[in-house]
Amino acid sequence: MITKQLIEQIEGEASILFDMKNGVVDFATISFPHFRGIESILKGKNALDALVITPRVCGICGHAHLMATVRALEDAYKNAGYPIELSKKSKIIREFTLTMEIVQNHFKWIYLTIIPEVAKLSNSTREQTPLKGAYAASIASKAIAVFAGQWPHSSYMIPGGITTDPTNLDVLKVESFMDELIGFFEKESLGVSLEKFLSFESCKDFKILNSDISFLENSLIDMKMNQKGFAYDRFLVIAKHTFTKPSKLKHTRPFSINAKYVNTIDSYSPNQISYAKNAQYKNIFYETGPLARAMATNFPIVKNMHRRFKDSAYSRAIARVFELATLLQHAKELLVQIDISQKSFIKSVDISKITAKGIGVVEAPRGPLLHSVNIKEGIIQDYKIITPTQFNIGSSSKSDPTPAQKAMKGVTKAEALFIFRTFDVCSVCTTH
Amino acid sequence: MADRIEGVKKLFTSKSAHVETNRGDAHYEKLFQSCQARIEELKTQTPSNNRLDIDDLLQDQGVNRRDFMKWASAVTGMLMLPASFTPLVADAALLMNRAPVIWLELSDCAGNTEAMLRSDGPKIDEILLDIISLEFNETIMAASGHQAEAQLEDAMHTFKDKYLLFVEGAIPMGINGQYGTIGAQGETFYDHLMRISKDAAVVVAVGSCATFGGVPAASPNPTDAVGVMDVVNGKPLINIPACPANPANMVGVIIHYILTGQVPELDSLLRPKFAFGYRIHDNCERRAHFDAGEFVEEWGDVGAKNNFCLYKVGCKGPMTFNNCSIIRYNESVNWPVGVGRGCIGCSEPDFWDKYAYERPMADANIKAPTGGVEKTVDEFGLGLLTAAGIGIGIHAAASIIAGKKEDGGEV
Repeated sequence: MITKQLIEQIEGEASILFDMKNGVVDFATISFPHFRGIESILKGKNALDALVITPRVCGICGHAHLMATVRALEDAYKNAGYPIELSKKSKIIREFTLTMEIVQNHFKWIYLTIIPEVAKLSNSTREQTPLKGAYAASIASKAIAVFAGQWPHSSYMIPGGITTDPTNLDVLKVESFMDELIGFFEKESLGVSLEKFLSFESCKDFKILNSDISFLENSLIDMKMNQKGFAYDRFLVIAKHTFTKPSKLKHTRPFSINAKYVNTIDSYSPNQISYAKNAQYKNIFYETGPLARAMATNFPIVKNMHRRFKDSAYSRAIARVFELATLLQHAKELLVQIDISQKSFIKSVDISKITAKGIGVVEAPRGPLLHSVNIKEGIIQDYKIITPTQFNIGSSSKSDPTPAQKAMKGVTKAEALFIFRTFDVCSVCTTH
Repeated sequence: MADRIEGVKKLFTSKSAHVETNRGDAHYEKLFQSCQARIEELKTQTPSNNRLDIDDLLQDQGVNRRDFMKWASAVTGMLMLPASFTPLVADAALLMNRAPVIWLELSDCAGNTEAMLRSDGPKIDEILLDIISLEFNETIMAASGHQAEAQLEDAMHTFKDKYLLFVEGAIPMGINGQYGTIGAQGETFYDHLMRISKDAAVVVAVGSCATFGGVPAASPNPTDAVGVMDVVNGKPLINIPACPANPANMVGVIIHYILTGQVPELDSLLRPKFAFGYRIHDNCERRAHFDAGEFVEEWGDVGAKNNFCLYKVGCKGPMTFNNCSIIRYNESVNWPVGVGRGCIGCSEPDFWDKYAYERPMADANIKAPTGGVEKTVDEFGLGLLTAAGIGIGIHAAASIIAGKKEDGGEV
């Protein structure tokens, strides 16, 4: 029996066609029925225009798109024989704003997506507090705005650095936003200090908590999500950042990677329109995102979780919570390293001198985001965008399912819909 | 349709954006009385969706009466009403749950939903946006799938001819609308919008995509995307462009509607004059440097370190009508010019093809609305530069409100 289910409360819309057998999902295809054609819009435009256009691919991870564009352009500069020099300050500020974009995303996912879904599936009467997510995200975006001018859709990064030249006062302002946000997270979400939370070594440590996060954790166990929602146990992190490192993992074994081996294939969704393509690495599907990043950095509690529950829906969800905590800590550390006396921007040649190809990779909230550009005398000949959701939530055939399709097999429809959301769905990026 | 769209854009001149800020006592007294009567009547009605009490909620969030009244007086000023209207504006804000709102997302990036309902806006604006009677918004509501469709049908039926329809995103017209479909039946965005706008009291297009087509309509416009005003006819229509649109302006439109029962005064591009009646340039924090002839010549130079004017690195503030230089973004924390980025004209039609990035206006082959319809930007830009060079006083003396000069020229 085939039934159709629409997915909302995500950025954009997606729908899943379930093929049920004996009350459980036998196979599911996923479609993203929207298309804007951003890649063809970029063709023929000045390469620097991409800095303004690509952030508008997505309202929630536009910053990642901006950084992917700037990295792709800088790579093209290098390949054209004009390597770009970046000051430490501009690198740190870029990392900081990207980190905070991931932070606001995870807050929204926790309070606007996953806790409401947990409550729904477990018939909990716990009071819903979506405003908590909105409030935390607003503090995070204020911290971004001090350096980036606004959020969403900021465009302050340029090849060679950043446009902003912050004063000590600006840095202080951001520090106070960080303190406010971490205080809020400790009081409203964790129920324990950030430091204490980050010292957890085993899932059993959650027992001491009585908070939103422990509600989430307990409910996931009650719902047996530690025994469901397994994907391939293969992980992929492509971009280099201060908070993670590139790695391809099969189970726990890491291998080195190169972004050039990422490939896309047409998606399979026979009964509905879909504009998304599936992304793979050397023709194999991998899971990306917080769980993958934690595995790549050997984050102790996530490793512990993985040893016990593998890449279950539980591990995927809790890894995102831990990533939020580590990134808050990391963002604070980055701030201290800013030396305002350094240059914000280091000049290179005009873009019209550049004829080259470039690839830019960034770890966005949901995993690696790739932009590749081909420039001729400063004009874009070709632009290609591959987004994290294309890795995780593609729609492939029954014999070679994508991570999300595999994770939804063999559970009830309600569980499958929940597992689907543990990947943190974003449709607007996926189809661009 | 393309001709009509171009025609509408050409209609705009700085003159059409002219705002009459003083209409005389008689006018305001009459307006005050009609607003007061309306507010009193609204108070007797039950909220269309009585989930939350606004007064309590504000207090829960640590907003005291004094902060709230400060906010109300700021909004009164923003709406260009005399200070005596402040108590009425405060009342109108507390009655915001009397205005049922349906929010549609079409061909978009969800950026406006992000900006308005979750991430941005002065604190009180944000609270008010959370408690307006949002009958339907697929990104944030609890129901999903078929249940959500039923909820939409229900809201449309219950509030027939009463609801405000907010639309985010462009309408892709290519291949019979198949670039964007919604719901179980795969209804196209166009059909969806036409069906739901039919019974709306007012249609509000939010963000640059819904107003003018936005980035999806950028050349070569692969999906043949258009804005709401290009397809919806016979309804009061308000455009709130910018990418993302500023939440304060959205709240302004709702409060104005509650207060007066009418749409605010609009320019020829259907933008509320209270928000789009003046240029970024007119109230820019770096304006003094423009007048003094102090410019950032290239990124990272001495000028950039000292917050000089960004005109020469491509700021489009002089030709962009919007109030971001006053209300800024993210709870007034900052705005692009504040980080030396320059305005990209994101609230103007075609910004994605014409204004985007750092080509200085003087080098760009585009037409600016501010210089009058006949003037090209080349002339406009050069004229401004000359003005800066020789006669500092010219701009300083110009009105805060764009286009006060009746001859339609700026220089």
